[in-house]
Amino acid sequence: MTLRTLTVARDLLREARARRWVLALFAGITLLLVALGFGLELEVVDGALAAQRLFGGAMDRSIRPADVALRPLFQAAASIVFYGGLLLGISVCADFGPSLLAPGRIESLLALPVRRAELLVGTFAGVLALVLAGALYGGAGLALMIWVKAGVFNAGPIVAAALAAVAFSALYAAMLLSVVVVRSAALSAAAATAVYMIGLVAGKRAALAQLFSPGLRRSIFLAVTAPFPRLTGLADAALAVADGEPLPWARLAGLLLGTALFSAGLLAVAIALFERKDY
Amino acid sequence: MAPRATRTRIAVGAAALLLAAGAWISGLAERGARPPERPDVSFPKYPRQAERERIAARQTLPARPAAAGRTDEDPVELRDPFLRSLPLGDGDAFVVLEANALRHSRLGELFVQCVLADHPEAFAEIARETGIDPLKDVDRVAYAGRAVVVSGFFDRVKWDAFQKSANARSAPYGDGATLWTSEGDGEAVASWRDQLVIAGPIADVRRAVDQVEGRAEPRRKDVADDMAYGELYGVVPGAAARDLLPAEDGALAARLAAAAQRIELHVDAQDDVAGVIRVTGEPGQEVDDLARSLGAALSIARVKAAATDDAKLSALLEHAQVVPRDGGFTVEVALPADVLQEFFKDCGKRRAKPTE
Repeated sequence: MTLRTLTVARDLLREARARRWVLALFAGITLLLVALGFGLELEVVDGALAAQRLFGGAMDRSIRPADVALRPLFQAAASIVFYGGLLLGISVCADFGPSLLAPGRIESLLALPVRRAELLVGTFAGVLALVLAGALYGGAGLALMIWVKAGVFNAGPIVAAALAAVAFSALYAAMLLSVVVVRSAALSAAAATAVYMIGLVAGKRAALAQLFSPGLRRSIFLAVTAPFPRLTGLADAALAVADGEPLPWARLAGLLLGTALFSAGLLAVAIALFERKDY
Repeated sequence: MAPRATRTRIAVGAAALLLAAGAWISGLAERGARPPERPDVSFPKYPRQAERERIAARQTLPARPAAAGRTDEDPVELRDPFLRSLPLGDGDAFVVLEANALRHSRLGELFVQCVLADHPEAFAEIARETGIDPLKDVDRVAYAGRAVVVSGFFDRVKWDAFQKSANARSAPYGDGATLWTSEGDGEAVASWRDQLVIAGPIADVRRAVDQVEGRAEPRRKDVADDMAYGELYGVVPGAAARDLLPAEDGALAARLAAAAQRIELHVDAQDDVAGVIRVTGEPGQEVDDLARSLGAALSIARVKAAATDDAKLSALLEHAQVVPRDGGFTVEVALPADVLQEFFKDCGKRRAKPTE
């Protein structure tokens, strides 16, 4: 990554701050945390959970170690952070690309001593930095809030946030690619949603392939889903941490690298198309 | 700088390579070894299908025989003769071991191997001397109050040899039993239709036969056929529980004895050992406190297991919980077979030791 790419990323973050995007993102996450903070009512007695309540309603009366009893809560939190975070990211970032390529703005950007590839990669990096910060703020905030209320710390929501940020790189690469083809926020969100949906399917493709009879249809299904990021696989790693299991490092490294390569591939196509465009 | 068309071709080629590499690596990661799954524990909370079938197959005895006033028009309600025979009084504890099922469990195999390691001819000798093959002929063993009741196949038992060696007198008793008594000790052994062998104080042995033949009603109404699930089950009065807990848990045992009126237990031991303990007492603070104390004790045990890197015990204790209910609570706890395997670690050493 060149210095000019980093400059583009920094400019994007600066602009996001100036246009109150950052404020809106963090205010939204804070509101969600506050709502959950008031809703969760946890009582922990003598290292064992005497009562577990959510929004005032008793959930479980069993007496068991608090960290074990709260695992479903941490798993739910990790799921919300991962899947909800990705959807929030799509809606928040859908307009970034189209505004970058807006008439009047793109001409001034292209007039700068910056290559087109650097412009696109810089935008990509800036948005990812923003998403990572937001995700970690939400994930860490949720984990800390439960820690303060129940006295039990679980890294599941934080791991989910970090993995969601990596997964979002695939979604945002698709968003940028669609924006280069057609400058539309709606189409950008639709492209990301499509990758999101196929990514969910790809994570369970081995099991879902059994639904197709062996032959051409199953082969097509496996071929189409093969390059897509395994979003459910990434989420499962976060859920494993929330469930008190160790992080499956070897498997996770492969899934993360696969996601990064998919993002890089889409970004390369976007750069190729961007290079050919006349503005 | 390369012309625009060349740069585009390079970018498209790179994209194709990246996507193909991503697909390959993701595929490898998918096929990669998954982390070991946490042991799945099935607690014996109720009779499973196989156990329901076993209970039904054992119900061969009319609950109200003709002697008790049954007419042919009455629907025939059948009971398990073994459970009906248990000569229990109020406050007596009883524990039933499903010997045949335990024999084929991991622990049972270990036990048999352990005995054979020290005494290779042990079971063969018993079979030769008594006519009972302990590994095949014994189905269930119950410790009921002061008596022991064994069910199984006793048609080849060498009763004559027993009578001679015990210096006992035999006499028929009831419709289908034979009673052996010896002078002075007040103890007796009875055999009922080659299905049950009962040993203990004479009064208890007679009562067991009377119950199974319908001349007496069981005094305890809480021993139902449908509680025969798990490889070990039974009922222990709260006061008797004091003796079951290890000495270092004295405070907890005293609390259990004071708060619990009835403790019903069911244990599965086919592989790892999973137990359900239902504690019933007078509703109140004492029972609630006991439930919390047990919950805390289980938490501490899990922390200890984690601290000593006993991952399997720690994982199984994660399933442990205390579930409060009206007038009591239920404890669910599991132990890995490896922990109990430790009891058998010295097997065979006695035999290996050279004679001095």
